[in-house]
Amino acid sequence: MTESLVVIVRGRGVRSRGGEIAPAVLARIYERGLGLLTGQTGAEEALRTLFAPSDKVGIKINAIAGRELTSPPAVTLPFAGLFSRIGIADRNVVIWDRTNRELRAAGYALNADGPGPRILGTDTAGVGYDAEPFVHRNIASRISAVLTDRVTASVSFAILKDHGLAGVTAGMKNYFGAIHNPNKYHDDHCDPFVAELFDAPPVRTRHRLTVLDALVVQCHRGPAFHAAWAAPAESLIFGTDPVAVDAAGWRLVERLRKEKGLPTLAEEGRPPLYLQTAERLGLGRAAEADIRLLEDEV
Amino acid sequence: MDRRDFIRTAAGTGAVLAARPGAFVRDLYAFQETANLSHVEARYYIKLPDREIECQLCPRKCRLGDKERGYCGVRENDGGTYYTLVYGKACARNIDPVEKKPFFHVLPGTAALSIASAGCNVNCKFCQNWEISQVRAEQVTAYDFPPRDVAAAAEANRCPSIAYTYSEPTVFYEYMFDTAVEARRRNIRSLVVTGGLINPEPLEALTKVVDAIKIDLKAFTQAFYKDYVRGDLAPVLEAIKLVARQKIWLEIVYLVIPTLNDEPEEVRKMARWILKEVGPGVPLHFTRFTPMYLIKNLPPTPLSTLRSLRKIALDEGLQYVYTGNIPGDEGENTWCPTCRTLLIRRNGFAVEENAIKGGACPSCRNPVPGIWA
Repeated sequence: MTESLVVIVRGRGVRSRGGEIAPAVLARIYERGLGLLTGQTGAEEALRTLFAPSDKVGIKINAIAGRELTSPPAVTLPFAGLFSRIGIADRNVVIWDRTNRELRAAGYALNADGPGPRILGTDTAGVGYDAEPFVHRNIASRISAVLTDRVTASVSFAILKDHGLAGVTAGMKNYFGAIHNPNKYHDDHCDPFVAELFDAPPVRTRHRLTVLDALVVQCHRGPAFHAAWAAPAESLIFGTDPVAVDAAGWRLVERLRKEKGLPTLAEEGRPPLYLQTAERLGLGRAAEADIRLLEDEV
Repeated sequence: MDRRDFIRTAAGTGAVLAARPGAFVRDLYAFQETANLSHVEARYYIKLPDREIECQLCPRKCRLGDKERGYCGVRENDGGTYYTLVYGKACARNIDPVEKKPFFHVLPGTAALSIASAGCNVNCKFCQNWEISQVRAEQVTAYDFPPRDVAAAAEANRCPSIAYTYSEPTVFYEYMFDTAVEARRRNIRSLVVTGGLINPEPLEALTKVVDAIKIDLKAFTQAFYKDYVRGDLAPVLEAIKLVARQKIWLEIVYLVIPTLNDEPEEVRKMARWILKEVGPGVPLHFTRFTPMYLIKNLPPTPLSTLRSLRKIALDEGLQYVYTGNIPGDEGENTWCPTCRTLLIRRNGFAVEENAIKGGACPSCRNPVPGIWA
């Protein structure tokens, strides 16, 4: 079996200490990262291999931690803009999370029906959650109608963080924000729930790409922002194997923790067990030996 | 709020609860944008370093980082302080017969002003009110209904009691507690309908301000609690014992689900345990299951099962054992355990005849335990 490819691209200076994004550096990260991931020359060609012009693309972000620790519009809007280059109209691209309140708090201007990519929470009037719980293994949840009604292809654009319960929160756990009852899945380090939710057909069949925002990584005491343990990694991580890209993210978190003199997540009793569960479910590959990690810098 | 206004809004709430999910969810979620959440500091939690907290309210003891919410979905860590999001925020308010709770030995034939917030600390696969219990606080329409107004509304509507019910009142503990205090000032009783997963300290404090607690004993095996409740049996048994030691009224309900918790020997063990730990006078209700939520593949409980389980509990020595959700069944009635006089004849939630005089059987004068006036 071939290895799963994960690409980490670092852009020095992509984010200032004050949080300002350098657009030109960011654009180069997208071009390089998506190109390396797909073996294409750049982002446009890369996206053509992953999406069709007829797709409606959902970009699921994680805005729980406010402006200090959410992928900002300056990062996600340029990514959303790439889809117009492959024939997907802006109105068919939606940046979303669970609530408008959290999106606004993270600096997003909501856009339910205006020009440009849509930006909305599941709580937008007329959206909501599916009426009946979707039952799959240990999961029984209403799923956001953004995902089930408005999207044919999903990108998990997740901020990479330490997580007090799951160990890390990355691309797979980002879909906890796509259901109405994530609080019901915190037992046992969120395992097997993270993997089983991802395995649920409404998620699994739509997911195409993970982009982990590792510009600043909260490597301890996540998911909220704690300045002492927020490490500027200046990187984005790309992968189509959802397990491999999360595993790579986890290893980056461990590396940053080590640099700060922190114990490993396993030593703290909270390794991301969901990765092994996800591998057992056939969702991807978690072992370091099974992942080909390409690291580059722009 | 006057009586007319209350009945109008209560009727509206009833309509929401009764609506088909398809219409219900989308409509309700349109309200999220203006979510009506409280920001009142919770009781029973401890602060930990780095803005973490540990909730001490229920046996789950959720340990949460900043911005995280408890299993209940209605209590949130914000900056290292734990808040209840549902204080004074009722998502359901109705006037119900007290028999609906069910309380059969508390003020029979009277109405209970019944309130709930969103949220629950378990996730029963057979939940009858999952559309409010298994959601987060902002996912239902919540009405401002602070404790003082609840007590006033009960008085205005001639309800001698307030019931904390429908979802799990443990998760809106502060709201329930303060409402009970307000109610007592007006001589209105407080009735708690709970699954019993609450820690001893808050439970004991609660028993000082409420008058009766009904505990759902959902099975008598840990395996059932693990697989179908996502909770533990032992704390529920401890809660029953604790309430039984207090000077308040206790009733126990056992929802009988075909093939899952209807083993006669299991029920016999439970009856013996109740007899030993609580005594023969506690009412025990065997209620009928209706397919719902995540268990739709099982039939409603056969009447014969309910009747045979009731007989087992009676044979074991419990004196007030009832069937529920079978309108007109003989098992709904209260009989004097000494002389077999019919004391209360019920039909569904209606009390058709109540012969109890001064809390005793009119024939043999044997006292009947309960709250009768």
